[in-house]
Amino acid sequence: MNVANGEISREIGDINLAYMLLAQKLVKQDRVAAMFRLGVSRELADMLANMSLAQIVKLAASNFLLCSFRLDEHASMSAVVGEGKDTMLQQAHMSILMSARNLQGQKEAATV
Amino acid sequence: MSTKSVLGEVREVQLAIQLIHLGARLQFLEAEVGLSRERLIRLYKEIKGVSPPKGLLPFSTDWYMTWLANIHSSMFYNMYQFMKTHSDEEKVWVLIKSYKLYLQQIEAQESEPILDFTRAYTMVRFFDSDMLQLSTCCRCAGQFVAHAHDHKSGYVCVLCRPPSRAGKARGSKRAAGGEISVPGMESIGLAVEAALDGGGLH
Repeated sequence: MNVANGEISREIGDINLAYMLLAQKLVKQDRVAAMFRLGVSRELADMLANMSLAQIVKLAASNFLLCSFRLDEHASMSAVVGEGKDTMLQQAHMSILMSARNLQGQKEAATV
Repeated sequence: MSTKSVLGEVREVQLAIQLIHLGARLQFLEAEVGLSRERLIRLYKEIKGVSPPKGLLPFSTDWYMTWLANIHSSMFYNMYQFMKTHSDEEKVWVLIKSYKLYLQQIEAQESEPILDFTRAYTMVRFFDSDMLQLSTCCRCAGQFVAHAHDHKSGYVCVLCRPPSRAGKARGSKRAAGGEISVPGMESIGLAVEAALDGGGLH
């Protein structure tokens, strides 16, 4: 049981690290394009860009996944996945839904 | 125009080069770049190796409503809106950036761009002049390009409810191809079909 838990934590940590490093790379390349791809606000994007490797490693070593589902409604999810759509149509649909979505971190920024 | 300073002129030339590479037409260049027509034509010839095409820009909003064109247009316009909201660049650069993003997206999907730069630009102008609008699909909640003043309630997008002809042609093609399925072939078939659709409508 414990061994399995440790395994899962490590896998989560690996994904977190890969995700954070990719996110930082994207933001450093092109901030707005990265905001579009990642679905994060400008403030969050800037923060990501300025994080040190040590900070990233520390944050990644967690029991929780840092990235979450972006198709957060059942209706959109089933619309995109359903009915044996071919890849091109699925990607196109995804891109349309994603670009209209509220950016992560924006609500918090607005209420502060 | 800002062409009086040398740096300003360099910027205009760089803008023109970007636009010509993306496939902008001369009419668009004249409207957006502060260089003389002669210089723009010279630049065009140097980059493309041919004279700029003559003729009118597309002027009908109907093209954007055909099946595949609507999918691509909606994809592009959603990106354009995102860029417009979140980047602090000038409008023409927002257009360039979002069109490049569209091309990247298409490349990642291994299909062909259906919306050319001129069509993309014309679409933005149609939106600005209130001839097109975004309608929200009541099934997937996505926003899709539609004629302005269309009924908004109960709208179902072309992806949630593809036209029956699109499905049929795909089916017969698949059946004809037997069991060999080549990724990418389908979308080419669809593109051809959409072109035929467009031809039939007008």
